[in-house]
Amino acid sequence: MKRNLKIFWLLSTYSAKTALQHRVGMISFVAGKMIRFVFYVLFIYFLVSKTRFLAGYSLQQTIIFFLTFNFLDTLAQLLFREVYRFRPLIVSGEFDNVLVKPYHPFIRVLIGGVDIMDAITIVPYLAFLLYFVLKIPHLNAINAVLYGGFLINGLLLATAFHILILAVGILTTEVDNTIMMYRDFTKMLSLPIDIYKEPFRSFLMFVIPVGIMMAVPVKILFGLLTPNMVIITIMISIVFTLISFFTWNRALKRYQSWGG
Amino acid sequence: MISIKGLTKTYRIPQRTKNLFKDIFFRTYKEKKAIENVSLTIDGNELVGFIGPNGAGKTTTLKILSGILYPTSGYVNVFGFTPFEKKREFLRQIAFIMGHKNQLLWELPATDSFRLNKEIYEVDDKTYKITLDELTELLDAENLIHQPVKTLSLGQRMRVELIAALLHRPKILFLDEPTIGLDIFAQTTIIDFIKEYQERYKSTIILTSHYMQDVERLAKRLIMINHGKIIFDGLLRNLVNTYSQQKLINITLLKPLSKEFEPPEKIRIHYQFPQLQITTHKENIVGVLAYMLKKVEFVDVTIEDEPLEDVIKKMFVHH
Repeated sequence: MKRNLKIFWLLSTYSAKTALQHRVGMISFVAGKMIRFVFYVLFIYFLVSKTRFLAGYSLQQTIIFFLTFNFLDTLAQLLFREVYRFRPLIVSGEFDNVLVKPYHPFIRVLIGGVDIMDAITIVPYLAFLLYFVLKIPHLNAINAVLYGGFLINGLLLATAFHILILAVGILTTEVDNTIMMYRDFTKMLSLPIDIYKEPFRSFLMFVIPVGIMMAVPVKILFGLLTPNMVIITIMISIVFTLISFFTWNRALKRYQSWGG
Repeated sequence: MISIKGLTKTYRIPQRTKNLFKDIFFRTYKEKKAIENVSLTIDGNELVGFIGPNGAGKTTTLKILSGILYPTSGYVNVFGFTPFEKKREFLRQIAFIMGHKNQLLWELPATDSFRLNKEIYEVDDKTYKITLDELTELLDAENLIHQPVKTLSLGQRMRVELIAALLHRPKILFLDEPTIGLDIFAQTTIIDFIKEYQERYKSTIILTSHYMQDVERLAKRLIMINHGKIIFDGLLRNLVNTYSQQKLINITLLKPLSKEFEPPEKIRIHYQFPQLQITTHKENIVGVLAYMLKKVEFVDVTIEDEPLEDVIKKMFVHH
């Protein structure tokens, strides 16, 4: 564990060093993210201020959905940025260099090192999230703890999603479109899941469990989830994670090492 | 010891038709055997040349031996390990250097990649320092390791690449075309280094190369593979003795050949004064030589074996 942390630390340092070599790009990236964030907050504000409620949720609650999505989404990008760079490794066959090293390939191709730019943007997201959560009237401590727990569950699901994307990358050399599909689905959860009609809502919740990632923690925070539902979501998370590991192992066996 | 028995690797290749719909929804695959029923053993501390034309199955074999690829069938054992299990103890003992691939952090100095490898391979500080000093000295790379990798030439990068791959002093080295694309000076540096490294650290090395000079200079034993099957496995010397039927006689003439000169039968002549080159079957060498020495005035005569490349080319044509 200590060794893995050391490797993680080194990879993060090198990732930061590389990013700092392109200062203009770095500033534009962070500025772009912040502008998008502000515009989206304004969009939610205008949307809910005219109707008062969105699918039964107040402006403050809608913002918590949005900030939870932003926090988890940025945290996943911060930790799994290497997945976005996986395709060139597969296409060129340089993934070979990862496979012959005595560490788990995830250390390099999944985690790879913290992306400093996402590390910068996550700070305001987290601050806003805490601010709005603490402003909830009569905040239930148990719900708050469960919210934290399900945020971790959301992160585990995000990990499983990214492992699945890597596996698909190995099997098909396709990464970019798969990851964009994942991002499009998760983005739908930046607003409360209840705005979507059945059966699409169940699809988002149980088939591609982005709903469990993003919406379930907030619903628990508001005390809107039954114990049965909590158990079901945990089971789905476990099954989905197992599927992603199984697919990864299968993909490794079928890896063809392109590029000579 | 490395031991392979009945090793086969089959790739599935999608077949394209003119029907896009069929290509997407009802794709068919053709199975191509990259290697078929390959068996061989390699002892510890051996340096083996592994050669064959493009697509013969050399790299696939190395990739199976290093655990990158999963074999379709057969038995593989490398120093007591099954490579594809990717046990940490196994991976710590090997290094795979690919001439056309890069393992270094592109935008940063090579020293950063070295430090990363130090942690990955759990090399202690003292060994790391000693090995790094030794390798940089052997490869004359002291000035290169502090520059961003992207600023290095191909030859320089390969020297630094070797340092990164060998910092943990691997017992087994897979070298896949380590001199590809390098000029003659860089090639010589790398080849000399491999020789020196093997003598110093007693590693087992499997080398693939398209340059016969590399193999000739480094390996006593040669394994030739074509269409996924081993067609020769033995000493380089035996290959030449068994398969080379030709000898080359190079004569440096004192005077141009006279118009009356008639060459003996069953020889090939290449003549451009003052050089006269004769290719003949090795059984005829004495007769041809005696005849020529009588007929021409010369300054120098040398007899050479047929170039190794020609012998190998002929073998590949016949298999």
